[in-house]
Amino acid sequence: MGEAQSVEGHRSAREREGWVTGRLVLFCLASTVITVVAGLVQVSFGEYSMTFLEAWKAVFNPAVIFDLNAWASFLFGTERPDMSTESIVVWNLRLPRVFVGIITGATLAVSGAVFQAVTRNELASPFILGVSSGAGFAVLATLVVFSGLAPFLPLIAALGGTLAFGIVYAIAWKGGTSPVRLVLAGVIVNMVFQSLQQGLFFFADDLGVVQTAIAWITGSLTGTGWEEVRIAILPAVVAIGIALAGARQLNVLMLGENTARSLGMRVERVRFFLSGVAILAASVAIAVAGVVSFFGLVVPHIVRNTVGGDYRRLMVGCVFAGPALMVTADVGARLALGTQMPVGVVTGLIGGPYFLYLMRKRQSMGEL
Amino acid sequence: MAGTQRDTDRERARITDDNGVAIESALVGDELELSYPSSDGTVVECARLDIPEKSVTALVGPNGSGKSTLLKALSSHLEPDTGTVRIHGEDLGSFGQKELARELGVLSQENDSLSSISVEDLVYHGRYPHRGFFDGPDEADRQAVERAIELAGIEEIRDTELGQLSGGQKQLAWIAMVLAQDTDVLLLDEPTTFLDVHHQFRVLETIRQLNEEKGVTVAVILHDIAQAARFADYLVAMHDGELYDWGPPEEVVTEQLLADVFGVEATVEYEPELQVLPKRALPDRRSD
Repeated sequence: MGEAQSVEGHRSAREREGWVTGRLVLFCLASTVITVVAGLVQVSFGEYSMTFLEAWKAVFNPAVIFDLNAWASFLFGTERPDMSTESIVVWNLRLPRVFVGIITGATLAVSGAVFQAVTRNELASPFILGVSSGAGFAVLATLVVFSGLAPFLPLIAALGGTLAFGIVYAIAWKGGTSPVRLVLAGVIVNMVFQSLQQGLFFFADDLGVVQTAIAWITGSLTGTGWEEVRIAILPAVVAIGIALAGARQLNVLMLGENTARSLGMRVERVRFFLSGVAILAASVAIAVAGVVSFFGLVVPHIVRNTVGGDYRRLMVGCVFAGPALMVTADVGARLALGTQMPVGVVTGLIGGPYFLYLMRKRQSMGEL
Repeated sequence: MAGTQRDTDRERARITDDNGVAIESALVGDELELSYPSSDGTVVECARLDIPEKSVTALVGPNGSGKSTLLKALSSHLEPDTGTVRIHGEDLGSFGQKELARELGVLSQENDSLSSISVEDLVYHGRYPHRGFFDGPDEADRQAVERAIELAGIEEIRDTELGQLSGGQKQLAWIAMVLAQDTDVLLLDEPTTFLDVHHQFRVLETIRQLNEEKGVTVAVILHDIAQAARFADYLVAMHDGELYDWGPPEEVVTEQLLADVFGVEATVEYEPELQVLPKRALPDRRSD
């Protein structure tokens, strides 16, 4: 009887907590606070000078927040209702950049985390598996050559990313893949697509296009507005939603291919489907912000180190930590260096050394 | 070719228990020819293989004799070139993947890569084939997990992460996972290799208990012929990709078999109980 009771006790404890740990809740709260603070800093500075108080008042201005017409103009591009100058500057110029940062941060982090599980490779990320450079090439080609197709950028980016990832997987496949083979194949495909990108510059007619293109290849949130939010929000919500729902599948995939199959998972199908979701997520970010390097690789590592390797926690952590880090990095890119830098420069400068640190710290790198 | 002779003998006579009643087979392999896509040439050829219902069958044989390959075919991890595998009389191919995972549990050898997962979470993964895409664990899942953990005797480490466990404890955790799968048939690929003696016995005792209490059919690859002879109800001896012999250990284990299959000189004692005492390696037979 005593044993049955103790089992009962444990069971109810498990039900109470589930997989949500205090640490995860704390981590998400901290990430949210960082995102909000960084966002407020971001909207407080700029050419139209405002005091902190003025800017924050504009952000939390109930006349805008509760105005359906205003939201309709933001999200559906209808005509904007009359607002004060502060409100226009904050709500129309500065805040959308923060929102785009939030969306790209979340999608890139989730994409990296999914790729790491699907390939069972902690070196995997949209950047390293060729998705970024493939999508980058596709977007660049659109900007330079087929400028009429600009409204379909996310779709085109997704196609380019899928193509590149397919090539990487095909090169690495030899009755299965290994982390090292995938990374090597990714390096090769990256190089090819980067050469193609550079070649495209010579077809650009004017300097403006080239400058946009460069900002774009490094990954930049400069000049993003509600237009970008509109493009990205729906596919981002879909991709993140599916990724969160698929967390348990990812956990089972992490047990290894044979075990997953023994447990009744159609491994190839699940892997293919979730890769598609990860490509979509990465493409969303790439379509509006360009190729932000290292982000998809490093963020899942940071989250994993904090909340553990269970993908149910990891995914939720990524959805919160991605925005926090992206918005903060963008604040650094816009304000810290005196001149507007692409955010990709900042993430590369921070992410590269962090990755190096990981490599030095760990005995083995590669297999998760 | 003593082996081939024995094979044909076996095909004629079905296995019977002590009372002379024929024993049904849970798993049957028929006319199997197995090869790997990455290499050419048939690895295993086997006219008929029976895994008798509600008993423990051990597959034995030297390295590279095709035991694991055969097990992969039995668990539908490897598509046979020719022939069929039937579970309770139905073709493996007619099952959906999850459906099959509710009938047949498999523990493969490759399972030491993951370290940051708690034992209990691992065991919960065993419920995967019983749950839909969005389902949370229900009462049946919880009970199955509790039973599996109790049976494997790993209550005290249920919250520990795999990375902090010894090889033996890890193996017990993985076994608990397949137990939670709650299948009638269980296939285990070398569950005792690399374990210390204590954990070897715990693994084998868990398997035996499962078989006796719940009538689960078990096929297990064992590295150690002496251990297999003492432990299993039936032995299947593999040699060079073919079935050398199969049946109850007292009939299968002979000094001849140890010489032919394992290349060792050994004495086999049948009284008071079956015991294999290997003495020395025979000179390489492949040279003649």
